[in-house]
Amino acid sequence: EANMMNLSRSVALISLFLLPLLSFSFSVDNPTDRRVLVLLDDLSLKSSHSIFFSTLKSRGFDLDFKLADDSKLALQRYGQYLYDGLIIFAPSTERFGGALDSKSIADFVDSGRDLILSADTSASDLIRGIALECGVDFDEDSSAMVIDHSSFSLSDGDHTLIAADDLVKSDVILGKTKIEAPVLFRGVAHSLNPTNNLVLKVLSASPSAYSANPSSKLSSPPQLTGSAISLVSVMQARNNARVVISGSLQLFSDRLFRSGVQKAGSPNKYEKSGNEQFATELSKWVFHERGHLKAGSLVHHRVGETDEPAIYRIKDDLEFSVEILEWSGRSWEPYVADDLQVQFYMMSPYVLKTLSTDKKGMFHTSFKVPDVYGVFQFKVEYEKLGYTTLSLSKQIPVRPYRHNEYERFIPTAYPYYGACFTTMAGFFVFSFVYLYHK
Amino acid sequence: MVKSTSKDAQDLFRSLHSAYSATPTNLKIIDLYVVFAVFTALIQVAYMALVGSFPFNSFLSGVLSCVGTAVLAVCLRIQVNKENKEFKHKTVVTNLRGIVAMFVIAV
Repeated sequence: EANMMNLSRSVALISLFLLPLLSFSFSVDNPTDRRVLVLLDDLSLKSSHSIFFSTLKSRGFDLDFKLADDSKLALQRYGQYLYDGLIIFAPSTERFGGALDSKSIADFVDSGRDLILSADTSASDLIRGIALECGVDFDEDSSAMVIDHSSFSLSDGDHTLIAADDLVKSDVILGKTKIEAPVLFRGVAHSLNPTNNLVLKVLSASPSAYSANPSSKLSSPPQLTGSAISLVSVMQARNNARVVISGSLQLFSDRLFRSGVQKAGSPNKYEKSGNEQFATELSKWVFHERGHLKAGSLVHHRVGETDEPAIYRIKDDLEFSVEILEWSGRSWEPYVADDLQVQFYMMSPYVLKTLSTDKKGMFHTSFKVPDVYGVFQFKVEYEKLGYTTLSLSKQIPVRPYRHNEYERFIPTAYPYYGACFTTMAGFFVFSFVYLYHK
Repeated sequence: MVKSTSKDAQDLFRSLHSAYSATPTNLKIIDLYVVFAVFTALIQVAYMALVGSFPFNSFLSGVLSCVGTAVLAVCLRIQVNKENKEFKHKTVVTNLRGIVAMFVIAV
């Protein structure tokens, strides 16, 4: 009996430990991240950035603060990931402790998990390497900062505290409410490769900005200038993992959240900078509380039927529909858009139609099968800025007419029918005439 | 030279015409039937050239029935022509009725 009691007690203990993990893991049905590891190089960041962390906690995230060189750091244990998201606020760390390095972080993003990475006035090679994996190039000069002599905040003296308002126009990344006040930024510049279509500048510098060492005289023209400088960028990987890379850790700090801002040369004075709204909305996007789409199966059938046929005939009328849902942070809501398209594709799209929606998440259209037979695919390829990419396809063959599916009498063939009949009549008349002429 | 060639053509045509008038009536009837069948076939070919060969099966049936009956009529003419001495038909039938019957069955 003692053994049985011990066994049942240990089973109960194990299930108690497993239960929280099971209910809070993020999954396909519940895509918002839950457990986030926050790496800091200085524990005082917990208090100097407390507003940002408390907004995350109030939205239900489970933050785990660790020092970046903590020797017990691990993202995985026994092949399972322990965290769904990672925030690296450790710009000067040269080496992570424990089992973390730039390769394990790259694998973390490859598994579909999200990352917020921030550099500051100094960025170590490790941070630069991780950013390079995500397609973002920090300025090579390690002492350079972004300087802007016409877009700086008036509260600062040396023109390195930028008041930036060149935000990307995307309701899904930055929220529906427009960010009125400029966003304060002090840090390093980075640039993006223009041919890379996975990265995007969320906050760009003004055309008068440049990246240089503020305490020494410029000896040659700076390499990074103008709007090519990105202050905050995002990347959405092909597996829909989202990464935010910021050149300034102070952008997330309480001091800049609370401070008022007046841009040099502009008469508008704002009580509160746009930083808090910017950081909050961006964190909502990066942790999949917005802009995450899920597609149901593609349904197609002939007009008037409900079953999906195994093969279509040319010139059939068919109806096509697909259900697309958007994750609202808590539940799946119907997705409403008017730019979803379906292709009827065999090596190239024969039919391309924009789907119309009933605003309840169903998108449908109807068209005639083209006059070509072969094996086609219904393809929906949707890549909208800030939304997950949808790539759906369903194969269906198309056959030509069977010989008994043509019209009984083809109008263009009437002369041939007439010729046959006149030949018969002529033969009849000829035979009479030939036999009975005198 | 031109005048002589046109005069030659006219003479040729006139001699052909007069020779042809000498053929018996029954052969002329057969010739008329052959011309009618070939003419019908040619009309169909011209129609196909205009409209395209969409119901190709219909085109083939129309043209080949006309051409087939023309060919059978020509065979009948050969067998019936009294001046045709090479053709000593050692067939089953030796009289006119038999030959016409063969033609009818063939069509």
